[in-house]
Amino acid sequence: MHNLRRQSFPRRGALALGLAGLLVGTAACGGNSEDTGRDTGSAAQTGGTLVFGTSSDPVSMDGAYVSDGESLRVVRQLFETLVTTVPGGTEIEPLLATEYEPSNDGKTWTFTLRKGVKFHDGTAFDAKAVCFNFDRWYNFKGVQQSASVSYYWQTVFSGYANNEDPSLGQSLYQNCEVKGDQAVINLTSSSASFLSGLALASFSIASPTALQKFEADKVTGTGKEPRFEGTFGTKNPVGTGPFKLETFEPNNRLVLARFEDYWGDKAKLDKVILKPIADGPARRQALESGDIQGYDLVAPGDLTALRGAGFQILERPAFNVGYVGFNTAKAPLDNPKIRQAVAHALNREALVRAKYPPGAEVAKQFMPPSLFGYAKDVQAYPYDVAKAKALIAESGVTNPTVEFWYPTGVSRPYMPDPAANFQAFSADLTAAGFTVVPKSAPWNPDYLNTVDTGGTGLRLLGWTGDFGDPDNFIGTFFRTKQPAWGPLEESIYADLEAARSEPDEDKRTDLYEAVNKKIMAFLPGVPYVHTKPALAFAKGVQGYVPSPVSIEDFSKVSLPS
Amino acid sequence: MSLTAGADLAAGSADSGATGEQAAGLYRDAFRRLRRSPTAIVGAALVALFVFVAVFAPLLAPYSPTAVDLTDIRPGVFPGPSAEHPLGLDQLGRDELSRIIYGARYSLLIGIVSLSLGAVVGLALGLLAGAFGGWVDGLVMRLVDIMLAVPSLLLAIGVAALLGPRLLSVMIAIAVVNVPIFARLLRGSMLAQRRSDYALAARSLGVTRGRIVLQHVFPNSLAPVIVQGTLALATAIIEAAGLAFLGLGSADPAIPEWGRMLAETNAFLASAPLLALWPGLAIVLSVMGFYLLGEALREALDPKLRR
Repeated sequence: MHNLRRQSFPRRGALALGLAGLLVGTAACGGNSEDTGRDTGSAAQTGGTLVFGTSSDPVSMDGAYVSDGESLRVVRQLFETLVTTVPGGTEIEPLLATEYEPSNDGKTWTFTLRKGVKFHDGTAFDAKAVCFNFDRWYNFKGVQQSASVSYYWQTVFSGYANNEDPSLGQSLYQNCEVKGDQAVINLTSSSASFLSGLALASFSIASPTALQKFEADKVTGTGKEPRFEGTFGTKNPVGTGPFKLETFEPNNRLVLARFEDYWGDKAKLDKVILKPIADGPARRQALESGDIQGYDLVAPGDLTALRGAGFQILERPAFNVGYVGFNTAKAPLDNPKIRQAVAHALNREALVRAKYPPGAEVAKQFMPPSLFGYAKDVQAYPYDVAKAKALIAESGVTNPTVEFWYPTGVSRPYMPDPAANFQAFSADLTAAGFTVVPKSAPWNPDYLNTVDTGGTGLRLLGWTGDFGDPDNFIGTFFRTKQPAWGPLEESIYADLEAARSEPDEDKRTDLYEAVNKKIMAFLPGVPYVHTKPALAFAKGVQGYVPSPVSIEDFSKVSLPS
Repeated sequence: MSLTAGADLAAGSADSGATGEQAAGLYRDAFRRLRRSPTAIVGAALVALFVFVAVFAPLLAPYSPTAVDLTDIRPGVFPGPSAEHPLGLDQLGRDELSRIIYGARYSLLIGIVSLSLGAVVGLALGLLAGAFGGWVDGLVMRLVDIMLAVPSLLLAIGVAALLGPRLLSVMIAIAVVNVPIFARLLRGSMLAQRRSDYALAARSLGVTRGRIVLQHVFPNSLAPVIVQGTLALATAIIEAAGLAFLGLGSADPAIPEWGRMLAETNAFLASAPLLALWPGLAIVLSVMGFYLLGEALREALDPKLRR
């Protein structure tokens, strides 16, 4: 949860410098990149190799087993899903399925499959292959069932054929039927987020032959430390994607090569090399020196300099939220006036302007404005120290003291520098009359565990959306009772459950708007930012379309001639 | 600090008979030599400056070190040195000069507390081992050996991580590192002194063993301890900065510890390199002060170099 395994970009490498930082400082400032591209006016060409800087190697290239951004990035190039999102958006469009149709009760989905599609190993893609994959996920056993291994199956489908942990709940998936060139998926209940969920790379259709041959289901170890014994996810991932795996040298490079028998427009690039560079500043330097032609998650402070040096900055639409969460079970946060006082005390505008890249917005609710169900008129809590003080006085709490938690050793798109956010907000709270007790812990696992077990008072956290549905934001936070948030107004839980199972899109929109207003009136936390994560590319690299949910593929990318 | 301690000690032991005369002579001599050593003068000046800044920080700092003002801050852009802010603003709009000044406070505080803690425990152990010898010595020294076997910064990191991110745990962590050093030093020094002629003379006069140890051998074994104390302050400042750099300092990131300030600047070295220079310079100068003074003291107190 909390993007626990998704796109973890620790900055621990940054700590290794010690006093050397003093010396490096002067050297680094002089080393601005010289302009590499001479003339980029000419048309892009087909062919060539793109070297892209990533923050780490993939955990596995078997989509079913991963939920972190770096693994999913690779899976996206090698595999395809039944449906996907429109480039740069969250609406669903066909991919391996050319048509999809739910039954009236929303429980039966018929997918008409694309013809003439082949897996990298020559196996034909058909309804049997689709059902084979779904049945494989549904029948996961042992370690495969742990949340850290099949996270997204649990997110979308809850349970398995035989739940080994009774808390998992009934599976949404019932079965899959082969009907000619159609695959019919039966669900146990109607779910509004099912189709959006299928666009996740974790539901990529893999070659059944390869899955069996390379023992994809051979997983040992524990949920915390799973060991993938088969070679499907490490050496032999076989999908229908525009690229196939050429070589994977851990800690060095992962080479993707064009799949010549791809059913659609073949990849423009001959090869894509993904080069893991854990340290953020080192990725920037690699781009500046020409070692790589692009990288992900550019630090907000680097944007201006990179733009000035002639690099292209591509921004993903804001599809995340950074928030200060309250645990309403902990005094004085059980007091609504105190929660409101905190909201009025925080100068969110100043922080977003100072610490986030241009284009970041001050958040007013717990989901991004681009999603349906975003309410226009929720209760607002503008920065107002006097009002915060008055609310504290009204609350009856004298000398309110709050434990304020922030994570260390991590940088998230919605929280590039947690300690800076903490210090700014902490100073705001102190100014309004709060006594702040600073608390910190390393992000994973200490911080997230403390949050999940309700150990924090105020906390800095956030969320990046996985798919375009409000349930993926406010549903994740507030649909079930969670120790992290403490007790909320009872009707919020029920309203969110009702909104999730409502099949009618317009009614769902209304339901979510209503519950967003309710949430912001109750105030379980203070959302403060929606930011746009950025990628950087060298001059002349064309065709990369940033996506709010990171569904991005390299097949349309081309290099300057 | 060590200078005055040495002088006090010299004055205090002056009336304790022949051995006292000898000690007083050593320290008086040492002081005379110190005054003529450029190393000592530079070191003492740096130390004096550091202590002065630390003690009078609230009077010297033009602004509060923790007052956040984001008005002029943009991602990767921080106003540099100006008339109002001679060293510029940091990433949260705080006055860098005020933070450096207050940082001296934390460095000195951590240095002195950790040094005192480490020295008291270390000296007690060393005294035990040096005074009793035999199996007590063996036991204490094996314990010390175990502690010395672990690299000092690693030991400090372990202790600090165990105790959680607090200022006190940094102090204890550095104190723990100092314990074996002081214990070993005092024991060695005392063993040498115990076999000296004046100790034998005192014993032949019927002076009790406890009295010999505490009033004769111990004061005369302190010279290397004073040197080590000065050097250990330098190490303590570096280690405190190192721990803060690694995120093991105080839980409140607003506290202006030099090491943490240095670590924070890492993310924007390219856009604001000066912000890394100031805390780095502060650490280097204060550490250099204590090292130079310590070195000069070592030379001055070395009986072999007496003229």
